[in-house]
Amino acid sequence: MINIISKTKYAYIFSIMLTVLSVVSLFVWGLKLGIDFTGGTLMEVQFENNLPSNSEVEENLKNLNLKSLSLQATGNNTILFRYVPEDDKTNQEVLKTLKEKYPQSKDLRTDYANSTISKELKSKSLWSIFWAVAGIMAYIAWAFRKVSRPVPSWKYGMGAIIALVHDILITAGVFSVLGHFYGIEIGIPFVAALLTILGFSVHDTIVVYDRTRENLLRSSSKETFSEVVNRSLNETLVRSINTSLTVIITLLAIYIFGGESIKYFSLALLVGVTFGTYSSIFIASALLVTSYKLQTKSR
Amino acid sequence: MNVRQKLRLKFGAVIILAILAGLISYPQAVSKIPKLYDFFNKPKINLGLDLQGGIHLEYKADLSQVDPAKQKEAMQAMQDAVERKINAFGVAEPVIYTTKSGDEQRLIVELAGIRDINEAKKRIGEMPFLEFKEEKETAVEKIPEDILNKTNETAKNKAQDLLKKALAGEDFAKLAKENSEDPGSKDKGGEYDFVKKGMFVPEYEAVIFDKGLKDGEIYKELVETQFGWHIIKRIEVKGEGENQEFKSAHILITKKVQPEPKVEVVATGLTGKNLKSASVGFQNQGLTEPVIDLEFDEEGTKLFAEITKRNIGKRVAILIDGEIITNPTVNSEIPNGKAQITGSYTTQEANDLVKRLNEGALPVPIGNPINQQSVEASLGKISLEKSLKAGIIGMVLVIIFMLLFYRFLGLVASFSLLIYSALMISIFKLSGFSPWQITLTLPGIAGFVLSIGMAVDANILIFERTKEEIKKGRDILSAIEEGFKRAWTSIRDGNMSSIITAFILIEMGTGFVKGFAVTLIIGVIVSMFTAVVITRTILRFVMGKWLENKLWLIGVKTRNKEQGTRNNI
Repeated sequence: MINIISKTKYAYIFSIMLTVLSVVSLFVWGLKLGIDFTGGTLMEVQFENNLPSNSEVEENLKNLNLKSLSLQATGNNTILFRYVPEDDKTNQEVLKTLKEKYPQSKDLRTDYANSTISKELKSKSLWSIFWAVAGIMAYIAWAFRKVSRPVPSWKYGMGAIIALVHDILITAGVFSVLGHFYGIEIGIPFVAALLTILGFSVHDTIVVYDRTRENLLRSSSKETFSEVVNRSLNETLVRSINTSLTVIITLLAIYIFGGESIKYFSLALLVGVTFGTYSSIFIASALLVTSYKLQTKSR
Repeated sequence: MNVRQKLRLKFGAVIILAILAGLISYPQAVSKIPKLYDFFNKPKINLGLDLQGGIHLEYKADLSQVDPAKQKEAMQAMQDAVERKINAFGVAEPVIYTTKSGDEQRLIVELAGIRDINEAKKRIGEMPFLEFKEEKETAVEKIPEDILNKTNETAKNKAQDLLKKALAGEDFAKLAKENSEDPGSKDKGGEYDFVKKGMFVPEYEAVIFDKGLKDGEIYKELVETQFGWHIIKRIEVKGEGENQEFKSAHILITKKVQPEPKVEVVATGLTGKNLKSASVGFQNQGLTEPVIDLEFDEEGTKLFAEITKRNIGKRVAILIDGEIITNPTVNSEIPNGKAQITGSYTTQEANDLVKRLNEGALPVPIGNPINQQSVEASLGKISLEKSLKAGIIGMVLVIIFMLLFYRFLGLVASFSLLIYSALMISIFKLSGFSPWQITLTLPGIAGFVLSIGMAVDANILIFERTKEEIKKGRDILSAIEEGFKRAWTSIRDGNMSSIITAFILIEMGTGFVKGFAVTLIIGVIVSMFTAVVITRTILRFVMGKWLENKLWLIGVKTRNKEQGTRNNI
């Protein structure tokens, strides 16, 4: 049996460090918001054979005075255009100009959202995260309502929520760094990924807690609380790792082969699931033991 | 029926389900048998516009002119009109619906598999917004009579003072500059250059022409007009008769009057939704200027009769796209539901407008889309191919992993994973026959692939539990039962959290998220079903005494014989 609980200190240090770094990064750099949240246009244009350089295309579009135009070459001879104006007329003019200069160019995708939409999406996203956390909290409290000794049921809920916030913050932190250094934008897919991570992270934690609950009901008095928790962790360890591995395998497949559109969506999930597994093993249960120790000390 | 027979029956049912689901999801397997192939090839997956190309447009309906009670009706009428327009364009299965977001009403148009995205957008954009407006007087708040009188008395006194000063010989131009309340003349010393007789109010001109005033003379009395009190100086009069012109100067002290009721042009409720048909007609035989005849539906006829009845002698304007096209005065009530637009159209223009009106006139303006997502067909195809490839690779890797790690159990899990996938595809395909058709989008495929990973989870939970029970010394069959029993609460509780978040994602409502969340929910539910029903049945059927001496096949190395068999339930 591996004594996971004895490594709690290191896990705490590691997690606190990562969380603090993520929060700092979020405060300093923030997240690079995509058009879903800022409004604006995203256009993907395919060029024939030789891709023109960004500066050349920019020069050609100079007359249109596109506010904060940014170009990004992607695979398959395509360039992603991003700019602030979000009306049909501007888009048509851009495409017309491109067509004149590059007769073979082809508009693959044009997405735009005006500020009404983006504001709405923003508030919807925040609310949905709020409701997801609230819903999961309520569910955990309900699922563990029968456990009250030696740790009250709401502490299981708290443990799961702390682990979950930890996973979400680190994932957001990673994307804040990616946004700052590689210009990776986040949109609605990122929010969907976050919510999925919420579900998944709690799923993992619940499996471990479930085992703890079961073992507590049947454990002999010789075992201390932290020993029961540690045994439960060990018993579910293989399952936790294997489950996460299968999910990670499929996510890697999507990330590598799934194409540009869902690449960063799967990356967000990948980061979240990895840390979700880590936190279920090293943090969630450790929090139970820590709170139990504080509880007995104060008595 | 004994237990064994029951199990056989169950196993048979699982096999039949597997075969059916397999055939529905991959009918090519029986392509040699045309009848069977045709039957199973009928259900098709409904691909989202990100996978087959297409456009998603979101319009904001401007309902500011619509009675709140009638907004729903207007939105429905708009949806119908756009549907009619799109159908005329020939798009297979357009999805058009209205949603409410806060106080805003939106119209969403989704055209999947469309070739010419811009043409479609143009067609919707050119839909005419037809409305009828009438004049309406709105009462304006009155100023109390005594305040009005007092103000005017002060003004009049001021004017009297000024008149005295002017008559006493003070500089008229200076007085005007300092005191006149006529912004058009005060800076020019109150002067108006030559104008023709008849241009000014009669009271003013009467002083100039009829009171024996000479050039350069100031009239001795205050002159009251609708504007206020004038001190008038005639400067010069020239010309004769009709061509008489005069130059004058004045100082004006304005008077306050009760504000006039405002006349506004307001919506009548009669709009494009009441239009039955439009046609080109000619006003008079032989005249080349075409007119457009409009005919209303039953409701429109009634409305139009009421409108014309209450507006006899007043104007009723016909507007297209917010512009007044024609603004005739109503002579009598029109009960037959026919109206006419006379504008300066060429025949060609009139024909175009009639076509546009007939293809769908809007009851409210929609303007440009506030949100657009368009995907070119070739990009959609690439996305589909890539994501399918990712799905297959992901599944193969998971199967390899399961076989390596769980050996015989892994084989069973892989088999049920295949059944799981076939069931999912079948549900996607068969949903087309229900009112809840599922549209498979790119994120949906991502959700599906992700759910493969999660589906395995339930199996892993069960296997780990079963192995534990075997290690504790149970015999294989009771270990399986115990494994399922013990794993079930974890599976249920764990998946519940995924379902909660997925439902919240659906509530968010945007296309990307919805597609993902719907497949995830279905995936979680179906995966629970396959783990608990299908895997269990297969395991119970194939596992038995024969495995007792080959425990390495299920990855169990040692068995703890001492712990006894069933004392730890």
